[in-house]
Amino acid sequence: MTNVAQAPDAPTGASGAPRSFRIESMVFVALLIALSVGILISATTIREPVGSASAIGARAFPYAVGGLMLLASVALLIAQLRGKYGEPDGGEDVDLESGTSWVTVGIVGIAFLSLLVTIPYLGWPIAVTILFAGAATALGAKRWWMTIIVGAIMGIVTQVAFAVGLNLSLPATGVFTSWIGI
Amino acid sequence: METLELLLQGFTTALQPEYLLYAFIGVLLGTAVGVLPGIGPAMTVALLLPLTYSLDVTAAIIVFAGIYYGGMYGGSTTSILLNTPGESASIVTALEGNKMARMGRGASALATAAIGSFVAGTIATVLLTLLGPIVARWAVQLGPADYFALMIVAFLTVGALLGSSAWRGIASLAIGLFIGLIGTDLLTGQARFTFGSAQLGDGIDVVLVAVGLFALGEALYVASRLRGGQIPLIPITKGWRNWMRKSDWARSWKPWLRGTAIGFPIGTIPAGGADVATFLSYATERKLAKGENKKQFGNGAIEGVAGPESANNAAAAGVLVPLLTLGIPTTATAAIILSAFQTYGIQPGPRLFEDQPVLVWALIASLYIGNTILVVLNLPLVGMWVKLLQIPRPYLYAGILVFAGLGAFAANFTVFDIGVLFVLGVIGFFLRRLGFPIAPLVIGAILGPMAEAQLRKAMQLGNSDPMYLVESPFSIFAYGSIAVFIGLSIWLGARRKKYEARLAAETAASETSAMAAVDAEILEHEEHAEHAEASERGAPSEAGDRSDSPPDTR
Repeated sequence: MTNVAQAPDAPTGASGAPRSFRIESMVFVALLIALSVGILISATTIREPVGSASAIGARAFPYAVGGLMLLASVALLIAQLRGKYGEPDGGEDVDLESGTSWVTVGIVGIAFLSLLVTIPYLGWPIAVTILFAGAATALGAKRWWMTIIVGAIMGIVTQVAFAVGLNLSLPATGVFTSWIGI
Repeated sequence: METLELLLQGFTTALQPEYLLYAFIGVLLGTAVGVLPGIGPAMTVALLLPLTYSLDVTAAIIVFAGIYYGGMYGGSTTSILLNTPGESASIVTALEGNKMARMGRGASALATAAIGSFVAGTIATVLLTLLGPIVARWAVQLGPADYFALMIVAFLTVGALLGSSAWRGIASLAIGLFIGLIGTDLLTGQARFTFGSAQLGDGIDVVLVAVGLFALGEALYVASRLRGGQIPLIPITKGWRNWMRKSDWARSWKPWLRGTAIGFPIGTIPAGGADVATFLSYATERKLAKGENKKQFGNGAIEGVAGPESANNAAAAGVLVPLLTLGIPTTATAAIILSAFQTYGIQPGPRLFEDQPVLVWALIASLYIGNTILVVLNLPLVGMWVKLLQIPRPYLYAGILVFAGLGAFAANFTVFDIGVLFVLGVIGFFLRRLGFPIAPLVIGAILGPMAEAQLRKAMQLGNSDPMYLVESPFSIFAYGSIAVFIGLSIWLGARRKKYEARLAAETAASETSAMAAVDAEILEHEEHAEHAEASERGAPSEAGDRSDSPPDTR
């Protein structure tokens, strides 16, 4: 009804739903269908204690959610088969004309995930420095040493601000850096 | 009278120097973060959440009030000063302000936005003050079936009716509801969808959902398509001495009031808050404008900034009515605030006004205070906001990632949450790429568990008879209103689409020189006294100079 999705050949900001975009949309909707089926199936295995007081047990809501998701994703599948696709979000810093830079996304994502390892092993300030320098460089910062300096400052400032201002102690050092002895 | 007394008590709390300082910090941070491009109000609140973790409840709530209003206002500065097509939702808001800035009237646009926000925010807060206790008193009588009906209405309006595509919204809502399901079922103690993980047994913190989807998801999305080259910032050229011409005041005050009248009621009903309100206000102003002023629409008409900006802030206050009195969030931002309240052990709802009067009234009082601080701060500090807009994008988004990590880690001090945040961020990334709205997901994640609890309570009360759900007059009314909402949204959606298409066509055609000419012409025709005054300041000649040169982009 209020669908503003464009026909595939319409000249849109999304450059008229190119092939890769259509494939991606289809894969995503397929995953949604798979997820909803998964929800419906695994909802049957939720244990419901016998003689629970309510008529509606622990399974009913999961069934409803799975059903709703299945309904919506099948409807989307049909809409997409008929050529109605979504439009990528706009934004102040988003350039919809140019293609997706997967390398940048990958590096930024890895930089963020590195926190999983760096926080316990190296401590918060160093973890932040690595995240910041990695992400900023991937995003196109020109001077790599500057990103390290700014990252280190952010790490130390948040560490101190949380300790002093909010009485929360972020791990200053980690397993590998405990010898620093702060 | 009782209300007034309670409000005064609220002021005595909120005006204590310590809390006043917190309100100040909240407004400052909220505006500063809200001004940053790519950061909307929801992300502002989500990113600043960790700051309040160890404050006492009252202080935290006062900081929140400041962040909320500050973040709402900050966005308008961005859209006025950044010469890039913003989000499609804010296109109408940004349009006129951006054009004004390109003509060298950015100061006037910012001023009418700031003052309009103040006027609207204050009136709307007064309405909240008057309405809140009444709604709360009435809402105490609502039973679980009524609440369930209300939540269904909220789900449908937020999920299906607000975005560009109903099914995309419902799919997003369903993902959110699923995320809300993960964890231990409170009633039976059974683990659901935890994949055998003990850490998932406690469920996924809504803060993680918000930070993951808004902060990390947005950062990843921008990373994939970062606009290259220079930051197209429009400089503020005119001095502050003549930030609002006499005619600007004359043209602004009515839109301020009309914006408030449109924004507040829309904020209070689950109809999507600010988005719809700003659009309606813009359409109204455009329709009501006469003669030359009407011609100026699309070319930098001040009414087109004054109205929507007021509507935006009035809606922000309106959203607090259902949030505080019913415990029902109608926007993503409200959902995050609700989850923050819950971490402090406060459950917004009808009993909040009775159980925690000191807290509620301190919050409301600090809304007034925050609003005042906002208008006092914003105009003088505009230079600082401009500096913020110039932050190189790699640093800005790397910084957002750091704060997202901080928010995830500081909530429970476990890196497991970093992993959860990453998964949510990736989901948010693909949702943005494929045009799914984010807000329904957040609303679903927070409201889903509450809806389930109410449904099960209702079924218990009704002896398992599903008819019990539609027995009370209120629930019948609520379900009936869905039909009205659907009709309204179809009408609104069609109008909006037409509008945006027309606006886009007009915008593409108009040039800065033509805009300045229209503006100068209007100035020309104003009463003699003001014209003289204006030429004394050199306004028309300045406008003339600018018309020769292309808009400065640096």
